[in-house]
Formats: sequence, C-alpha cells, structure tokens
Amino acid sequence: MADLVQLVTIGLLAGGIYAAVGVGFSLVWGVLNIVNLAHGALVIVGAYLTWQIFTASGLDPFLTLPIDAVALFALGYVVQRGVINRIIRAPLLFTFLLTFGLNLIAVNVLLLIFKSDFRSVTTAYSGAGLDLGGIVVPYIRLAALGSALLVAAALALLLNRTRVGLAIQAVGSDRDAAQLVGIDLRHAYAVTYGLGAACAGVAGGLIAMIQAITPTAGEPYTLQAFVVVILGGLGRVSATVVGGLVFGLVEAFAQSIPGSGSVFANAIAFGVMVLVLVTRPQGLLGRLR
Amino acid sequence: MTPQLDLRNVTKRFGGVAAVDGVTFSIAKGEILGVIGPNGAGKTTLLNCISGVYRLDGGDIRWHGVSIAGLAPYRVARLGVGRTFQIVKPFGSMTVRENVAVGALFGSDSERPPLRAAFDRADSVLELVGLRSKADLPVSALTIPDRKRLEVARAVATRPKLLLLDEVMAGLNNVEIDDALEMVRAVHETGVTVVLIEHVMRVIVGVCERVIVLDLGRTLADGQPDVVLRDERVIQAYLGERYARRLRGG
Amino acid sequence: MTTSQRWQRILIVLGCAVIAYAVLAPLTSLDGAQALNLPLLTDKLWFRLATITAMFVVMATAWNIIGGLTGYAAFGNVAFFGIGAYTTGMLIAKAKWPFLLALPLAPVAAAIFAVLVGLPLLRLRGHYFAVASLGVGVAVGELVQNLDYRGEPIFGGASGLFMPIFAVPNRDLYFFYLMLGAAGVSIAVTWAVIRSRFGYGLIAIRENEEAAAVIGVNTTAYKVAAFALAAALTGLAGGIFAQWNVFIDQENSFPIAYNVEMILMALLGGTGTVFGPAAGAVVLQLLIQFLSGSLPITLDLPFVPEDAMPVLAQVVLGVLLALVVIFAPRGVIDFFGGRSRLTIAYLRRSLRETSI
Repeated sequence: MADLVQLVTIGLLAGGIYAAVGVGFSLVWGVLNIVNLAHGALVIVGAYLTWQIFTASGLDPFLTLPIDAVALFALGYVVQRGVINRIIRAPLLFTFLLTFGLNLIAVNVLLLIFKSDFRSVTTAYSGAGLDLGGIVVPYIRLAALGSALLVAAALALLLNRTRVGLAIQAVGSDRDAAQLVGIDLRHAYAVTYGLGAACAGVAGGLIAMIQAITPTAGEPYTLQAFVVVILGGLGRVSATVVGGLVFGLVEAFAQSIPGSGSVFANAIAFGVMVLVLVTRPQGLLGRLR
Repeated sequence: MTPQLDLRNVTKRFGGVAAVDGVTFSIAKGEILGVIGPNGAGKTTLLNCISGVYRLDGGDIRWHGVSIAGLAPYRVARLGVGRTFQIVKPFGSMTVRENVAVGALFGSDSERPPLRAAFDRADSVLELVGLRSKADLPVSALTIPDRKRLEVARAVATRPKLLLLDEVMAGLNNVEIDDALEMVRAVHETGVTVVLIEHVMRVIVGVCERVIVLDLGRTLADGQPDVVLRDERVIQAYLGERYARRLRGG
Repeated sequence: MTTSQRWQRILIVLGCAVIAYAVLAPLTSLDGAQALNLPLLTDKLWFRLATITAMFVVMATAWNIIGGLTGYAAFGNVAFFGIGAYTTGMLIAKAKWPFLLALPLAPVAAAIFAVLVGLPLLRLRGHYFAVASLGVGVAVGELVQNLDYRGEPIFGGASGLFMPIFAVPNRDLYFFYLMLGAAGVSIAVTWAVIRSRFGYGLIAIRENEEAAAVIGVNTTAYKVAAFALAAALTGLAGGIFAQWNVFIDQENSFPIAYNVEMILMALLGGTGTVFGPAAGAVVLQLLIQFLSGSLPITLDLPFVPEDAMPVLAQVVLGVLLALVVIFAPRGVIDFFGGRSRLTIAYLRRSLRETSI
C-alpha cells in the first residue's frame, strides 16, 4: 500500500513537470495550429538560462524562473514574428519542417556554446524532502509541482481575463474574423508563441533543478508534450494539466513494472499516444480538432 | 418491382439533434427527383447518409433490395451511386480531363478500364457536359459554373446508375442555370436516375417529375412539383406561419 | 527555345552525365581496367560516399510515394530502414543465413510492419499522423535496442550486431552497384506508379480524400499500400546497409535525423515527381558530407575548431531547411520543370503566399 502511494506521489510530481511542458505546447498548437518541434529546445534554453544565472550569481533557481519567462517570451516573440509567421499559411508539412529546422539550429548552437557536458543546478536543499510516514516527497519536486500549477493558472487567467488573452482566443477561433475586428494578427501570433515559449522556459528552469541537463536533453520533452496534449485534449489549460498529471502517473506505473525502466520512455509515450488517438481522439477533456 | 433506392426510417443524429429523422421514401429507376427544403432541413445530411459518408443512427437504406447502410463510401460508389459536393472538391493539381478520367478509372464498372479507355471515356463525358474545349486546362483556370460542371462530369464518369446532385445550381445566374438544366437533362437521358437537391424552384419545376420536401429532418410532402409547391405545410415551412395564413385568406 | 526548355535540356544532360559517371567510373577500379592503364576515378572514400548517396536516393524516393504522391507526410520512415537492417542483420548474424537470401526478407518485414502500423495510423490526418509516425520511428529504435529476453538482449542491445564480412571480390564496388540498383528500382517503381491507376488514386487521395472516396477509390487500402511500398523500398536500403556496414546498432540504423533528411531531399528536389527526390538526395547529401568535412575539399573556418565542425554542419542544415521551406516549398526542380524561374520575384511570391 505504501508503495502504491509512493508511486502515485512520484507520478504526480513528475506529472507537474509534464503539465508545465505541455501548456505552452498546447497553446501554440491550439491557437496557431503549429506543432512546435522546437518546443523541447525552448525548454532546454530555459534550463540553461537558469543554470547560467544560478552558477554566475548564486541566485536561488526558483527566483530565476521569472527571468526565464521574460527572456523566452522575447525569444519566442521574435522567432514567430520574424520567421514562423512567414510560412504560417503553408501546408502543415512546412511548419513542421521549419520548427524542426529551428530545433536543429537551437540545439546545435547550445552544443557549440555549452558543449555536451552535463550540467546541474544543486542548491543547499536539493536533496532534502518531506517524510510523510515513509513516503518521500523531495522539496524541489514539490515546489516544482507547485510552480507548474502556478504557471498553468497564470496562463489560464491571462487567456480568460485579459484583453490580450481574449484576442489570442479570438485568433485561435477564427483567424479572419479576428482580423475583421481589428486584431493585429502578426502581433497576436507572436505574443502567443512568446507565451508558449515563456511557459517552456519556466518548465526548463524547473527541469534544471531536477535533472542534469545537456543540449539534447530537451528532445524527449517534445514528444512527451505532444502525448500530454493528446491525452488531455486540446482546448483548455486545465485539460493539459490533467493530461500531464495522468501521463506522469502512467509513466510511473509503467516504469515500476520489472524489466522496463526509463529506457523505454519514448516507447511508453508513443504507446499511450496511439492508444488515445485510436480510442478517444479528443482526449480526456478536450474537443476534437 | 423493387425500387432502385429505398430509404426506410433513416435517422442521423448529431449530439442531441436529429438532422434526419425517420425519412422514408423510394426512388424508381430512371426517375428525376427533386429534394427541397429550407436551410437546415437535412438535405445534405441525407445525401451523406446515402453515399456512405455518414453512418446511420437508425433505419435502413436499400439499393435494389440490398442494404447498403454502413458501407464505406467507395463501396457505395462502386455499386453505382454517384454524387457531387455542394462545395466542389476538384483534384487541384490535375487538368480537367485528368479529373474526369480519375472518375472513369474508379467508377462502378466491374472491370478496371485501362488508362487509355478511361481517358477516352473522360473525353466523351466532357462532351456531354460541355467542357470538351477546356479539357487540358488546370482546374484553377475554370469559372465557378465550369467547376460545377467538372464536379458533375467526374461523377458521371463513374458510370453511376443513380446520381445525387447537391445544390449544383447554387450561385449560378439565370443563363447559367439554363445551361446547367440542359446538362442535367442530357445526363438523365443516358438512363441515369437523377436526384437534385435544390433551392432554386425553377429547376425543380423545370425538370423534376417528382419532388420531396424535407423540413427539420422529416418528409413534409412527396409528389408532383405543382401539387407539392401549393401544399400549405410546404409554404409554411419555407415562408412562415404569417404568409401561409395570408394565403389561406385569414 | 524558351528559357524553361533550355533549363530542362540542361537538367536532362546534367542528369545523364551524373548517372553515366556514377555507373561507369567504378569500373575503373577493376583489375582489368587498371591493366589497361585507365585512370582510377574511384577510391574507398568515393565508394563510401557514393553508396550512402545512393542509399538516400532510395529513401527519399520511397518517402515520396507516401509523402509526395499520397500526401501523408510520414515522419518516421527511418523505422523501416532499421527494420530492414535488423531483419537482414539478425538472419545473417544469428540464423547464419547467406546475405543474398536474407536480403529479400528486409523489404518484406518492413512492408508487413508498415501494414500493421499503417492501418491505425493512416486514419489520422495532418499533425496527428505526422507526429504519430515520428513516434513510431523513435519507439521502434528504442525497442530494438532495449528488448531483452531472460536478461539477454534480443537484437544485440547497446553493443549492436556484428556480421561476418561478405566475401566477394571488389566488395566496395559490389555494394555500390547493389545500392545503385536499389535506387534504380525505387525510381522505376515511382515511374510506374505515377502513370498507373494506382498512382492516380494516390494523387486523388492527396488532392481531396473525400472526393476520392465517393468516386470509388478504396482510400484505406491505397494509403496502406503506398505506405507498405515506401516501407519495402526503405527496408531494402536498410538490408543492404546492414551487410555493407557489417555492424548495426540503434544509432546507425534508426537515426532520427534521417527522417527529416529524406523529407528535405524530396522537398528540395520536388515532391510528386519521379526524379525530384533523387536529385534532392544527391545535392543534399553532397552538402551534408561537405559540411561534415568528409569530402576531399573542406572548408576551414578560422574561428571554428575541428571538432565543432559537425555541430556547425547541423546548424547549417537547420538554416538550409528553414530557407527551403520558407522560400522554395515547391522544390528546386520546379524551376527546371519549366513552371517557374529562379528569380527574386518568384521567391517573393512564394513568401507572400504563405505569410501573414
């Protein structure tokens, strides 16, 4: 029984990270209809930013998260406005390839700068955790879960209660109608991608605290983000959060089966995805897109 | 005699709404039938049910006595039921002739025509609908009325026994409608049963021997055009209660 | 003669010259040719690069069948390459089959896998299909590397699979011609498909799947068939690769980069045409090899250390990908096909069509 609770705990904690990674991805997909293959790269850029600031200044990594958000927002805005906007009306294949190309550029530029050595962010409280009757809950992971939920809530608030957010939703609903009511499409698109990147950056900062990072460490997160969004369903932030948590649980349980282990991470992700696509394509909470 | 197409209690729901609700009627071989009704009456939905694009939620559709409910669209097409789309769906990267030839290649013949024969058939169908002179043009070079002709030509090339035309007159001016009517008559004269879903009354009156009126997914009337169009319930459905009352003299 | 006709002529002549060179130059390495004092046009490096190029010609042309003709842009076709490689590899290494007997099973295994995976996958459209197929590519590679049976890796695990060297005189030449032959088969198959009823059906599916269905095309069967055909050809390349390279593992048999490379090659050359992907494969492969420093001519950048070159090469590849996608989505062969000319105006028009 205790093992079960521990497993669920592990799953939920991991799920928080997945949710954080997923919400930015879901936003960009839902509004811009772009499956951002560079999402993992944005995550890892955020991770490196946190690591760099932490290493250079000793600032607590959780305090670097807002910096991650702002910096990645700016990066995302520029990329969307300058590059991705140019082919947004082309068939799906092209946006796919473009984001893949951007991913290639980003990851390899990181490799040039940071080499492929593993880096990690270790604070004084890195190893410590709560002990709830035998169930171990590492502080960092708990705070990460909290931060992830906070980010999701902030995003949802922004989308639903601010002018910017409503403009983004309008653009996502009907691009042409949004233009007719006076929304600057290029700007709206860039802001959306920027927000997606900002969420990715924060997720990256959280990841830097939890695992060792290297430029290629972001790759699996793209596929996992995709699975999370499919699992939860496209449409609302809450759907992605649920998707992330459920995926965390699924992964925790799958990995506890003797003989598997984290080597099968991608295979598990893929398996879940195909299962959902074939049985319930709109995901747990979403609408069909 | 077994009707060519027999609809019995056909029902299709979307969410809680029954777009088609217990529609029942038969079509005899060689008829030229009109299906009319206000917007949202379920005309296109019914057509989609017949051609296999939608699965039925209730009822049955029989082709020469055999049920075709649940068959994949390509199977329905191979049995001899052709259809056009309200918003035309041409094969954009092909020429006009190629579009029609593809129809000929995959139609309801039991044998597979070699490419040469398919292209020959395409040419004769283009002749029938009046697009022969534009055979080598890309689809993008066609006007709207011509694209509708192409849509019909492609469907005719599949050698259908029954042809369902979905609002093929929409958006055409009077002259274009006359031309289109001629095309429909020409197709009908080759022995194909024709079902026209239309809004344009002139077409219904001009060419249909029988008309069925749908409203809110149900059949409202079924009979000769001049009789049906004077039916009070039909007028009410199209023009509203007040107008119907006025006609009644109340 | 119009400009576009002139360009077409140039392209055809160029193409024939390249093919003639590729077929005939290796013959100079034969003992008989050397005895006649013919100049040696090829060496080990030449054969290695040429064989890899031919391999990509197969993969790009094969991808074109499902991606270019049918319009289902699969992002995980490297799975079929790896399956072909491991099928042949396992038969040779574990079951001790002779190479030429093991090779035909590579395309068969790949095709069977394509049918099994394709039936559920090809019901998905657009993004879903693309990423699902990407997932397949990644997952299969992982499974092959990590599957154990009672503690022992089934497929050789992380240390890979070794095969005995195929004993044949002029081995480099032999495998080059074999891969070239596979390339020829791919192109011939594409040529036959494009002008067949099957090909028209595929194009119809690409242009408008709903319309194709209602005129009688069995879209499911056709899509799966196209997928299986692409898989078989790709698997064949994998099978040849396995014995040629003598060693296979997850890294060299399921490299994720191949997925995008084969698509980029088809795109660059022009999807939906017979020779486009092949042309794109040759051009892009030369570029990739040049950037990685494998060619006799290398680029020496003053600020870049030796070991950073492969990484820089990837950056350049990414930039190239972005540029091609943004400015020339219809491919370079579009210019030579006479439909458009490589001018600034064309590039600007391409851009305007797709940007907001």
